[in-house]
Amino acid sequence: MQNSENSQFKIEYISTSGVYKTPFTLIILLQFFIGCLVVISINLWFYNDLFFLLTGKRFLSFLLIGQWWEWLLLPLNIYGNLLLFAFSVILFSAFLFKVLNKIYPPREGVFEKGSKEWKYTHRRFWMAYFPIWLARSLPLPWSDIFVYRFLGVHIGKNVVAYEGYIDPEFVEIEDYTMTSLNICIFSHLIYHDKILIKRVKIGKTCIVGPQTIISPGTILQDGAILGVNSYTWVNQILDGDFIHVGTPVNKKLQIQSVEESIKKAERIKEESQKKINNTDKKIIGANR
Amino acid sequence: MFQPASLKGDSPTPIDEEFRNKYLILYFINIILSIIPCVLFELGYLGIFWKKGIYLLYFFLLPLNIILLIYLLQFSAIIISILFLTVLKLIYPPKEGTFKRNSKDKDYIYWNIRNIIKKWPLFITASNPFPWFKNRFTLRFFGVKIGKNGMHDNSWISSEFVSIGKNVIIGMNSTLLSFGIEQDTFILRKIIVEDNVIIGAKCVLLPGTHIKYNTKLSAHSYTNFNAILHENSIYMGHPAKLKEK
Repeated sequence: MQNSENSQFKIEYISTSGVYKTPFTLIILLQFFIGCLVVISINLWFYNDLFFLLTGKRFLSFLLIGQWWEWLLLPLNIYGNLLLFAFSVILFSAFLFKVLNKIYPPREGVFEKGSKEWKYTHRRFWMAYFPIWLARSLPLPWSDIFVYRFLGVHIGKNVVAYEGYIDPEFVEIEDYTMTSLNICIFSHLIYHDKILIKRVKIGKTCIVGPQTIISPGTILQDGAILGVNSYTWVNQILDGDFIHVGTPVNKKLQIQSVEESIKKAERIKEESQKKINNTDKKIIGANR
Repeated sequence: MFQPASLKGDSPTPIDEEFRNKYLILYFINIILSIIPCVLFELGYLGIFWKKGIYLLYFFLLPLNIILLIYLLQFSAIIISILFLTVLKLIYPPKEGTFKRNSKDKDYIYWNIRNIIKKWPLFITASNPFPWFKNRFTLRFFGVKIGKNGMHDNSWISSEFVSIGKNVIIGMNSTLLSFGIEQDTFILRKIIVEDNVIIGAKCVLLPGTHIKYNTKLSAHSYTNFNAILHENSIYMGHPAKLKEK
């Protein structure tokens, strides 16, 4: 997709993805409230029974009378409530996210501050914030991949994607790719009064190294490897089955087998030793 | 925003182990004193709703109660740590400069004690789900000047000797360090970020950096000690250099 606006917009530096704080941020409180209400309404009968076992009174008189074995369910109840709370919040906010998408569908391009795109990207980001925060603080480390799938991001099977920042829209990750610690995958870039949105595609069996940034519009073809500590420029295409390194990416290296690389290292060692020996002889000769 | 659990946390302040063991009491006193108002609040809530027998309203308002509890804990922790900090300021006022990293240097000792006191309120901010708590609420109480209309929720900012202007964007995972440790010396310098500055993702600002009006720092770069970035220009690289057009 190349708009007429997009070609005029010059990118001189990579900034960051993110959103300002708006009044819509308070949606977090609503999501929290709804999740808690679901958990409490399901647990009312259980705590009514426990209260009866403790004191002999009931605060809800129309429910059953508690049995002694219900104490055994208490640890299961605590762990189940954590999952239930997270699951209800995730379902509720994914539903609202879909509604927002129906009201104003997201588009790619460059947009000014105050336009409808600007407003709705902010709303969608704040809507997606709390479920992803919850999934990442649960004791199940892969649960945030399910949240991303609920929100409409395409993530394939056997993907490692829980140790970095990933934008909640316009990102495609195919099967068997690995992303490392502390990476950033941006499909949005914010300048002062403009926002750039472009789709990021990561192919099959890619590896994204630690401490890297992937800017909007980059395409990693199948089998590409992005090296440690490097970042990509906007609209960059990384060829498949090569290693890419640089800030921004400017070097292309071939993938080697372990034996080849060991042989190469030994060859370099021998050459450097010869050089050192030669220089030593020269120095000794000069001294004499 | 959507950061994983392993990257959450308060600003990176390496407290010396010697002083941490010595002044650990201050940390525990801070925790206990800040929990007391929360207990009183819960007792009042129970007394109003449970004892009068309005059980359903008690359960309906419970989520609101939890949200208020988080705010109350945060606020009381901040107030108690500020009380400690003002007493410390009267004993020995904090100042900038290069010091020695010994147990005899007074500036180094008092910097460590200040960080022990700030640890508890910064820990609560980092571990609750509301992202505006840390840089917009807590750091302003500690004397960090942060202007309005900014976007700096996802960065690590040191809790003293930092001033940030209006309309500033600070990117994902970038750190503003107003302290530096180099072998035996310990450095404390002020970081000044003026209005309309953009700092990209994963940047590191070392102590003494002064970024002037309307300057842009590209992503994945760091600045040197006492670097001055001039106005209306673009900087990038390791360390940051002026980008020629």
